[in-house]
This record gives sequence, C-alpha cells and structure tokens, in this order.
Amino acid sequence: MSRSDVLVDADWVQAHLGDPGLVLVEVDEDTSAYDKGHIKGAVKIDWKKDLQDPVRRDFVDRPGFEALLSERGISNDDTVIVYGGNNNWFAAYAYWYFKLYGHQNVKLLDGGRKKWELDSREMVTEIPQRAATSYHAQEQDRAIRALRDDVVAAIGNLNLVDVRSPDEYTGRLLAPAHLPQEQAQRPGHVPTAKNVPWSKAAQDDGTFKSDQALRALYADESGLDFAKDTIAYCRIGERSAHTWFVLHELLDQPNVKNYDGSWTEYGSLVGVPIEVGDAK
Amino acid sequence: MSDAEQAGASGCGAPAGGIKVTAGVGNQAVVQGHVTRAGTPVPTGYARLLNSDGEFVAEVPLGEDGGFTFYAAPGSWTLRVLAPGGVRAEQVVSAESGKIIELEMAV
Repeated sequence: MSRSDVLVDADWVQAHLGDPGLVLVEVDEDTSAYDKGHIKGAVKIDWKKDLQDPVRRDFVDRPGFEALLSERGISNDDTVIVYGGNNNWFAAYAYWYFKLYGHQNVKLLDGGRKKWELDSREMVTEIPQRAATSYHAQEQDRAIRALRDDVVAAIGNLNLVDVRSPDEYTGRLLAPAHLPQEQAQRPGHVPTAKNVPWSKAAQDDGTFKSDQALRALYADESGLDFAKDTIAYCRIGERSAHTWFVLHELLDQPNVKNYDGSWTEYGSLVGVPIEVGDAK
Repeated sequence: MSDAEQAGASGCGAPAGGIKVTAGVGNQAVVQGHVTRAGTPVPTGYARLLNSDGEFVAEVPLGEDGGFTFYAAPGSWTLRVLAPGGVRAEQVVSAESGKIIELEMAV
C-alpha cells in the first residue's frame, strides 16, 4: 500500500468536493467543532456517542456500526475520507475503527481540520442530507486490535510503543496537559515500552512527516525492531491509532495492533508490572 | 464530579479554549490566557504546550474569546500559538502547583 492509497491532501479534497461515491466524515471528541463549521458536505461522527457502547467499555457491536453507517448514508462502496481536530487523533481512530469492521476504501485527510483551518479554506454550517443505506460490516479484525492480555504477553517480547508525551510516559503527568490531572490510574508505562510520542510523526500543522523521516524516527532513533510485531498504546487509544496509521498504513508494517484500552485500562489493572521514570 | 473531571475521564481531546477552571485550582499547575491581534481576540488558531525539551505535550483550538487553558506540572514550559496566515508566537512560562498563570499573547 502506498501513501496515496491511505492519505489525501487538502487540495485533493477541495478539488473533489461533491464527487459521487465520496463521503467526507468529520470525527471529533468535541463535536461542537463540527457544529461551528465543517468542510462542505461532511457528515459528523461523534467519537463517544456513535462509536462507544453506552454501557460497557467497548465499541458498538457490528449491528450497531451497520446501523450508524446506514443512517449516515454511507454505503459499502463509498470512499470515506475522515478528518478531525486534535491533529487527526480521533479521525485516525475512526479510520482504524472503519478498518476494524472491514470498510475497504477509507482515507485520512492529511492535517485534518487544523490544516484546513490554518489554510483559511471554506467551512460551512449546512448539514448535508444523505439518503439512508443498508451498510454491511464484517466481523472485527482482531489482527489490528490488542486487548490487555496481549499487552501483558508482549512485555519483553514484542515492540510496545507508548505514544504519549514524555511527561505522561515517565509518570509526571497522568493525562495530556489540557486535561485536569486527577485520575484513578497509577502513573507510568508498560515495562519495555519505548516512548515515541505521536507528535514526532507529525508537523506542527498536523500533516504527517515523509515516509523517510518516519522510518528514521521509528527504526533508527527509537530502536523499534521492524522484524517484530508491534502494539501501540496511549491513554485511551486515539493517539495510538495515529501511530498505528503511521506504522501499518504508511510504513506498511504487517503486524501492528492498537491497544484501545490503553493507559486508562492498564494503569488500573491489579497486579500488572508498571515502570516509572525514563526507559530502563 | 466537575465537568472538567468528567471530560478528563471520558476522553483525551481538547475542546475549543480548553477546559476552564471552575471549581478552584486545587494543587493543579494551570497555564491559561488569551491570544489577541491588535487588541481583538483571535478565535481561529491553536495553542500548543511544549515541555522544556521542546516536546509536544498538549494542544487546544482557541476558544471564541481567543482563550486557552492547560493543566501542567510545576516547571518550565513553552506556549506556542499557530494561527492562519502562517502566524506563530512563543512564550516561555513557569507553572506552579496551586496557581493559575495568566498569559496574554499578542500576534
């Protein structure tokens, strides 16, 4: 797979607005962002309300995902372009989620909402009307999703990549610094995990660095062994979806999983090993 | 539970302007402020917090009033602002536990 199969730039999107068979999807955590303005024709998916089970901590099940996409007017044959705020964290998460349920043709808008805004491109408040479809999802592809036991088993065996900031990795902060720091989890990281912050893969405007720079970052500077399988995690699994996208989609690493439970699960588990401070 | 705690428990993203300090600062080390151009708030843009090594720590889209709020730890941080038109501004700030540091960034 090449970069152009998984990533489109803002000029491309601008030139293809309104194309049949193309659906723009904005995915944010703060969905008021979409309501204030979005790319013309884009539909909204709410990271929490639409993609998370309202009771259990897990995703909506397959029928739930089918109902969501059918209602939003997305069909199996559509090319879905996802974009969002927070440097595409939640858009990368949605991309991974669409792949998890087997949607074939999905791409990420490079730089997401931020690049679009910094370019002063047009945003509208008009909500598009799309006819409902009958979407069919596949069973979840567990090859790209890690659960807690996979992570414990990976300690000392596979590549574990902690993509949070160095301050969260060492235990100095428990959450990104725009969030209050009063959390239930123990601070620290999974032993043997390497800290490669997601932000090292992106420029300030949110676009991804070149394949060459990314390969150098993970293989040379961070010492990831590309011959081994990899599990990426962060705090709740969206920043690590960003890194999953880099490793699996841009750099074509075959076995990369995103651990969506991430630190809010691992840091609350009883009896698992935790390391604090710098990498040992 | 405060709004801030709820947001922190459920998500990881930043709402525009960040999460305002509502129920007292407690022992948090808060850095907040506003971005203005010729005295007028800049509502479209981003505030980014970097640690003392220059590494990304967090980012929020600016609020309608050009505002931003971060919950840091005691120590030195850099606040970087990005806005349309290639606008960029930086300021070094020292955060302290139990205090709100107020910044005014003119771009």
